[in-house]
Amino acid sequence: MTVILWLIAAGALVAGGFMAAFVWAVRSGQYDDTTSPAVAVLLDDPALPARDTGRKGSLDA
Amino acid sequence: MREPPGLCPVSLMATALTSAFDRPTAAAASVAHCRHCGNACAGLLLANAHGTFCCAGCASVYALLAEHGLDQYYRCAPDAGRPQRTDIDAARWALLDDALSAAQFLDGGDGTWRYARFGVPAIHCASCLWLLERLWRLEPGVGRCEVDMVRRTVRIAFRPDVTTLRRVAERLASIGYAPALDPEHRADAPASRRALYTRIGVAGFAAGNMMLFSIPRYASGPALEPIFQRLFDTLNVLLALPVLVYAASDFFVAAWRAIRNRTLTLDVPVAMGLAVLFGRSLFDIVSGQGPGFLDAFAGLVLFLLIGRLFQQVAFDRIAFDRTVRSFLPLSVRVMTAEGWALRAIDALLTGDVILVRPGEVIPADATVVDADGAVDLAFVTGEQAPVAVTAGVTVVAGARVVESPLRVRVLRPVSHSRLASLWQASTAVHKPSHWLTLVSARFGQGFTVLALTLTAAGAVAWWPDAGKAAQVATAVLIIACPCALTLSAPITLGTAAGCLGRAGVYLKDAAVLLDLSRVDTVVFDKTGTLTRAETRAVLDRHELSAEDWARVQQLAAASTHPISRALAGHGVHATDARNVQERAGAGIVGDVGGARVALGTAAFVQRIAGAPAVSVPGRTYASVGPRVGWLTSTTPAREGAPAMVEAIARLADPWLVSGDHDLTAGQWTPIFGTHMRFDQSPDDKQRFVRSVQARGRHVLMVGDGLNDAVALGSADVGMAVSDDAACLVPACDAVIAGDAIGVLPDVLRYARRARHVIVLCFVVSVFYNVIGLGLALTGALTPLATAILMPVSSLTVVGLSTGLMRVAVPGGRR
Repeated sequence: MTVILWLIAAGALVAGGFMAAFVWAVRSGQYDDTTSPAVAVLLDDPALPARDTGRKGSLDA
Repeated sequence: MREPPGLCPVSLMATALTSAFDRPTAAAASVAHCRHCGNACAGLLLANAHGTFCCAGCASVYALLAEHGLDQYYRCAPDAGRPQRTDIDAARWALLDDALSAAQFLDGGDGTWRYARFGVPAIHCASCLWLLERLWRLEPGVGRCEVDMVRRTVRIAFRPDVTTLRRVAERLASIGYAPALDPEHRADAPASRRALYTRIGVAGFAAGNMMLFSIPRYASGPALEPIFQRLFDTLNVLLALPVLVYAASDFFVAAWRAIRNRTLTLDVPVAMGLAVLFGRSLFDIVSGQGPGFLDAFAGLVLFLLIGRLFQQVAFDRIAFDRTVRSFLPLSVRVMTAEGWALRAIDALLTGDVILVRPGEVIPADATVVDADGAVDLAFVTGEQAPVAVTAGVTVVAGARVVESPLRVRVLRPVSHSRLASLWQASTAVHKPSHWLTLVSARFGQGFTVLALTLTAAGAVAWWPDAGKAAQVATAVLIIACPCALTLSAPITLGTAAGCLGRAGVYLKDAAVLLDLSRVDTVVFDKTGTLTRAETRAVLDRHELSAEDWARVQQLAAASTHPISRALAGHGVHATDARNVQERAGAGIVGDVGGARVALGTAAFVQRIAGAPAVSVPGRTYASVGPRVGWLTSTTPAREGAPAMVEAIARLADPWLVSGDHDLTAGQWTPIFGTHMRFDQSPDDKQRFVRSVQARGRHVLMVGDGLNDAVALGSADVGMAVSDDAACLVPACDAVIAGDAIGVLPDVLRYARRARHVIVLCFVVSVFYNVIGLGLALTGALTPLATAILMPVSSLTVVGLSTGLMRVAVPGGRR
């Protein structure tokens, strides 16, 4: 039955990892807006007109 | 808005008359819908190569998007475009050229990119998101644009070497997403919600793992080895500790605060139940009597926290800003020794001379310095007609400058101005604390007393056996924890408020719904509520061509009469009219483009033009040379307003209380009958509301603007009608979008349903509590029974309240 002890230890490790990942996700602002990104991915662009704007400007700067 | 057939009525609200007049179309087909906003273009129609539009504003937005290949916008969501009739003074964006004012919207940056954060009240659907994220295709120098649909904000990266903050704002405005310039609309990422999410994570983590460790003890079969029993119990205690100390801390804090205020809200029995649940479990485990109820404890905290999240998300959706500052400019130009300088309105001192541009509001009581000028008092008294002012005249705060810039000397600092006192008077009106708080307090008291009595009774009944007595007493306290009760109201009201928000009705807080559910009298203001806010001139072209009307419009721009203003629209400022003479009560005459142009009464125009004109009430005549035409000025009823009032009449008593004269009473008599009052001052309206309340009725006041503020504040529910989400009204409990006014009867019915759902949830949760109490009092409440009973009761309540509030929502096409 000592295998249960190993199992619990391994389980705690995995669960703890996910818990830490969740806390990181919350802290880094991924839960600040739960509506807009979910909508944004569903919208397709039609074929873009050829125009190079050199668009940059990540907001994470 | 119904025009006799065969005429050519054209709206003259919009700016570009020349292009708008390209092809005015007869409004024969009432089914025509605006290509941009989708509204029926009843009577007002504008056709060009792109299709039909209700106004030039809509047409120009459509043309701009089509030109840039962004017409996909109209396919992302069915109701993407919003009517563009609201005029925004282009001069306001000049404020953003000023570094001091601009700084309020800037949000960091690096060498190349600068970041701006704007509140954009027009954001409402997926199409908005789609379009705004492609802003870079419309404006060179713009980078990524992040949209927060719930808080209605955008964060835009732009290159200061290519474009300016002002150009970005103007670009947003040109596609119908004018940013709000008042500081209250700026949103910062809320930190408090992150903490709540972390708490939910901790509680959920603990609850899930504790369930795993508890199942072996619930399962039948060979008994667990004692060593594993101890191990699992210890692990459960370790997992429960962060739940108690961190995740559930808010409930203990709230309960402690309630006790210190000498009240017993529902927080108190909740905290009591949680504390006893944990204490009893710890005792059971340490004394080796059993596994305790720790899994139920963690699950309970998880459910309570989720309920709290519901509440906050709903609040985000309905949060709107109600400060009087929304009406006032951020900063004004103050005369200093070095010239004009911008200064925040809070920093204005008595004696400062400030320059207020047309369309801006004078922020403080002041005396006029310039020789002449004009202001309107629409925000203060509701009177739209401009008033001429001369040097030395006192103007009150809230007066809006029209036509030309005006220099005024500040009499009193902003916070002491009359506008501020009007606002304060309306908020100072004592409102009884909300039904929900009252119920929570009263229910909490009764509940706590009942729970304690039952606990004592249970203990006494089992008394000789001290151990059993303690067991029963704690079991009663545990099962009496009113978690389902605390969940039902916030979730029902939160869900309802969210659904209403999508229908165009925004509540100050969710509990307003309960006040709404008791409304039995609805008092309507007329102008701006049942009718549109602006006067609209509808032309009959008769003998006059489009070019002729353009000349008349030039002449009208020289006058301050309301009909002239409606005719001239807001776009025409420069005027080519020469030799203008205005005769009060008759009309205005002048030379435009070489022709003698007149505008006024039939007799006046007849004399100038030399052609006959028959006087018909409601008509204003115009002539160019010998040709005569006329226009009808109306304040048209909102679409569906009469039908809406008729539907309301089946639910509550409708009343019409108007500040105007009863010129248009005839239109409303069949609907309101004798329930009409005219020529009512703001104070009269308040007195009227109070008198109805004195008869024991619950009043919903529907009005617009500051002039209704006092009445809105006095009513049980004050609902403001707003055509421009950026222009909000103080002292109201709810805001309804002007085009959503038709759903008002549904909203009343929906509010009543919300109350019934809450009562139903109470009944259901009491039912579960009675079962639980039965088990507890007989000493049969096992950990397993608790672990099942508590989540089931919470889940039923959550399911009932969300499910029943999501079907048949007002304005349900979305």
